[in-house]
Amino acid sequence: MASSSNDSSRVSHPVVLSTQTPYPLPSQKFMIPANWKRYQLSQLINKALSLPKPIPFDFLVRGEVLRTSLGEWCAEHGLLEEETLEIEYIQSVMPPQRMSDIPHEDWVSSVSCGLQGHFVTASYDGYIRTFDYSQNMVANRQLHAAPITSVCVFPSDPTLIATSSQDLTAQISRIDSAAVQPLATLHLHTSPVSSIASSPSGKHLITASWDALVGVWDTSIPSSDEVAADLVQAERKSKKRKVDEADRPKRKAPIAVLKSHTARVSKAIFTGDKNAISCGFDSTVRTWDTEIGICTNTIIASEKPFLDLAILQNGNTALAASTDRTVTIYDLTADGASLSSTVGTLVHPATPSCIALSPRSSSSQQIATGSYDGVVRIWDLRSTKAAISSFKAWENKGKDGSRKILGLDWANGVIGIGGECGFEVWRVDEGSS
Amino acid sequence: MVAVTTSKDTRKRKQAPQEEVTNERNGLNGASNLEMHSDDEDGEEIGSDDGEVEDFPEIDVASDSEEDEESEEDEEEADESGEGDSDDSDLHIFPKPKTIVSDITGRPKRVYPEIEPDYDSDSSTEDTPNRVGDVPMHWYDDLPHIGYDINGKQVLRPARGDELDKFLKTVDDPDAWTSAFDKNMQGDKALSPQELDIIRRLYEGENPDAQYDPYEPTIEWFTGKGKEEVMPLSAAPEPKRRWIGSKWEKKKIMKIVRAIRQGRIIPNKPKTKESKFQFYSIWSEPPSSHPPPLPAPKPSLPTNSESYNPPEEYLPTDAERAEWQATDPEDRERNYLPQKYSSLRLVPGYDQFIKERFNRQLDLYLAPRIQRTKINIDPNTLIPKLPSPSSLKPFPTYKSLTFTHARGRVRALSISPDGAWALSGDEDGVVSLWEVNVGKEIKRWKFESKIGSLDWCPRSDVTYFVVGVDDTLHFIIPPNLPSAIFSATQSSLAPATLPPPSAIPSPVKWVSNSSSDLSILKVELPPSSGTPTQITWHRRGDYMSTVSSGGGVWIHQISRRHSQAPFKKVRGSVQLVLFHPTKPHFFVATQQYVRIYNLSEQKLLKTLMPGIRWISSMDVHPSGDHLIVGGYDRKLCWFDLELSDKPYKVMRYHVKAIRSLHFHPTYPLFASSSDDGAIQIFHARVYNDLMTDPLIVPLKILRGHTVKDGLGVLQVRWCNRQPWLISSGADGAVNVWCS
Repeated sequence: MASSSNDSSRVSHPVVLSTQTPYPLPSQKFMIPANWKRYQLSQLINKALSLPKPIPFDFLVRGEVLRTSLGEWCAEHGLLEEETLEIEYIQSVMPPQRMSDIPHEDWVSSVSCGLQGHFVTASYDGYIRTFDYSQNMVANRQLHAAPITSVCVFPSDPTLIATSSQDLTAQISRIDSAAVQPLATLHLHTSPVSSIASSPSGKHLITASWDALVGVWDTSIPSSDEVAADLVQAERKSKKRKVDEADRPKRKAPIAVLKSHTARVSKAIFTGDKNAISCGFDSTVRTWDTEIGICTNTIIASEKPFLDLAILQNGNTALAASTDRTVTIYDLTADGASLSSTVGTLVHPATPSCIALSPRSSSSQQIATGSYDGVVRIWDLRSTKAAISSFKAWENKGKDGSRKILGLDWANGVIGIGGECGFEVWRVDEGSS
Repeated sequence: MVAVTTSKDTRKRKQAPQEEVTNERNGLNGASNLEMHSDDEDGEEIGSDDGEVEDFPEIDVASDSEEDEESEEDEEEADESGEGDSDDSDLHIFPKPKTIVSDITGRPKRVYPEIEPDYDSDSSTEDTPNRVGDVPMHWYDDLPHIGYDINGKQVLRPARGDELDKFLKTVDDPDAWTSAFDKNMQGDKALSPQELDIIRRLYEGENPDAQYDPYEPTIEWFTGKGKEEVMPLSAAPEPKRRWIGSKWEKKKIMKIVRAIRQGRIIPNKPKTKESKFQFYSIWSEPPSSHPPPLPAPKPSLPTNSESYNPPEEYLPTDAERAEWQATDPEDRERNYLPQKYSSLRLVPGYDQFIKERFNRQLDLYLAPRIQRTKINIDPNTLIPKLPSPSSLKPFPTYKSLTFTHARGRVRALSISPDGAWALSGDEDGVVSLWEVNVGKEIKRWKFESKIGSLDWCPRSDVTYFVVGVDDTLHFIIPPNLPSAIFSATQSSLAPATLPPPSAIPSPVKWVSNSSSDLSILKVELPPSSGTPTQITWHRRGDYMSTVSSGGGVWIHQISRRHSQAPFKKVRGSVQLVLFHPTKPHFFVATQQYVRIYNLSEQKLLKTLMPGIRWISSMDVHPSGDHLIVGGYDRKLCWFDLELSDKPYKVMRYHVKAIRSLHFHPTYPLFASSSDDGAIQIFHARVYNDLMTDPLIVPLKILRGHTVKDGLGVLQVRWCNRQPWLISSGADGAVNVWCS
């Protein structure tokens, strides 16, 4: 042992270190002893830059997070001593810590951290609830008679939220300090609406539904109904609410309907103000030009009913979670065959149900996925083999198999997790001050 | 005893004269047998004093009667005459010894008579004067003598004439032609008349012994008067059967006698021609047309490699030798290995000789021998060529989520036609509507009694489902429907104007109640018909058939609100029914048979015999040409309906009873669930080509249900548009299995 350790201490590898963090080293070759691990490398960078406060770094060697010593990694991958290793370092994700746990009466289907200082949760009982950071419920209102499937906060105007529901409609509502006021109902779909998302500018909404349609809406609140009320509902409502006719949310029609999917569309999001992307149970990811209303590109996967979709900040990489327990990374710039556009897959032990992106532009390669086994995994897309961090939500609640995570949002250094056991907030310290 | 005492006496008086001894003995003997006196005198004459001769009469005295004495006298007379001939050798194989008292020791000793140098005596005693032995006589050629006699004196060379003398001798001497040159004595020796006589006898083929008499009178050893074997072998008294006639023989004889009296047997039948024995000539038959028996196969001739010194190319290499030794004796091409010996002298004995000969004998005997018939087939080739499961994706592989019923077994399960909603009903009376993909219960209905069955209506323009509880079918509309579909459903289930009642009155009551929250339409089956255990829809969604636990089969028509029971007369209790997906056919499964009826023509088409003790489940392929039937005896039968009424394939993969079977409506998959808690997924590809058999490949065993009270997975249903399976078990869990 002694001799071998001596050997490994003597052996050293030529290494070039690079980074995208704001802590770059001069690009030069270092001779790193083979028995060095992450800790020594991190110390090296800290000392070389003489940082005032030590920042832990993680090291990516050829798309893998370095977990062993450098020599062991080389031996495992059959690398010779003379070969130069290019190592990228990133700021370590510190182990997330649970901040608060807000129990709900029913399952939480979607969460949003977009409202400044608040969390918005959408629940299966049709209620929208907002909480401030001290876990106090600020607002609470039943917007839908059926379960709400998703909620989004307008980036332009954080007091406006949009919700989609299984009652076949979506709504635009305004959240005041304590009240939630529905402004308009969106009428297009004949099946439950599975998701709603707003454009970055906040001028458009996009809905996806089980009836294979994608609806594009503007966010202006009409002064009168654009769609005639259904007979049945009209009957009911005429009895109920003749009084507050003016207060009633206006019925709104879409500005465009995107038809190309052949099965349930599970998620549709905007990639720009005029471009959208959607995925569905027909194992396709489609990009749309919402202005013209045509499908510009289709990625056809084989037997991957997609559940959720996210697009990276660069706009060229899409992540799609499917029921075959994978999250697939697609390169949208490559058009044509699906195989060429698949960049990598993140394999999960259970069905991944939701994806959240890291809000920080410096760590744009980091995502979080929530799955039906109640585990949130944080991945770095450069290292697809294993998650760089993972934690269990609702560890003390519920029994195994009934801790499904249904909604995830990552903003302002916290991850909001909504699911079967309620709503939980975890702090993810990315090393930023 | 007497002999012993006398010997003691003789020992005491060692020097006593011989006569005294004899007298004493005679005195003893004479007391018992006076007539033996003359014998003793004879004995004295020949000097036979030994105990054996004396003891013999004693034994005779103890057991014999007068006859024996007489015979003894005869014997003695015969002996005397024999002695007169002095030809003891004929009677006694060994010469009789004399007992005399030795001069030296003073004790009696046996003296055998001198051996007469007769013809049959030892020839080594012949007098040969020359005793040099078997040495080459030319050693003595230069010497005047030719050897030495027994006393060591020289034996001189006899005078030998020259050739002329020899010739003259042949002329003069008449005995010259019977003389021969004696090498030992270096002279001619004439044959004696005895020798000539022997030669003559040999020449004539007679016994060379002149004394031999081939026509000797027989000597009666054990026959004749007084020579019988008198020693009894057994002291048992003579059995009765020796003098009493046999009872059985008497019976047999009486049987014959009776038969003769009754005339059944005619003793002296007049001889007819037929009764005479018929002879036939075996040689007069025409020669057989059969081929002559095959001669035994000849043993094959040895080849070059069997030589003791074969050419080099025949010698096996080490690898060949090892291979030969590794193979079994039956599989070897040759039963030997070529071996090279430098000389024939070094060839060892053939160790296989006996075995080989024995085998050849068995061959010739056509003896059947047990031979191990080794199957020279790669076992992998026996496995049918099935594609690997990974190439047959997608199929469910893992449990995505579980929906749990708090109480009771989940016996009823149905998936909505669009595959998004699942409906499960347990024995506690709870029906839950939940999202397949998330597992979230949306709505729950509670009934008083256990849910027997439920099924969605397959129509796409209306959406409702039917729940069978307690003699009643409840028609329920799920929530969150588009208004168009909701109104269409309402109008079809609770129409404003009821259709005209059927001409045939039915005991089934249809009650619409549009305002009720529970069910919009109730169909009340006749009371005490039992819980509907199965609800099955026709593909168009207008006809629905239910099977009650009491065995009643009802076919309901929704549009006409009418029910009828066409299968009242089916033999056996009906377990399951099914509509044919394309034709107006109807499958009715009783306990052991599946009958196919044509509903439009109202006749029985076919009876399928699965050979299952008790049918538990059945499903028809979406193409309508194939049927699978599962039984409580673990069997799963695949029927090709065009082919036969016997199963095309019978599979027994489950450990316990099969509970449920379902074909996927679009994917080539079917699933079976069992009480062993396992679900098995099969790939079942059916070809349009009638010549190609269906391809059935077992794909995956899904385990995840716990067996409770001996019940496992009670129901499996496929999700309509995805290769997902939903299974409900006795443990109250409903699992969703995703690909």
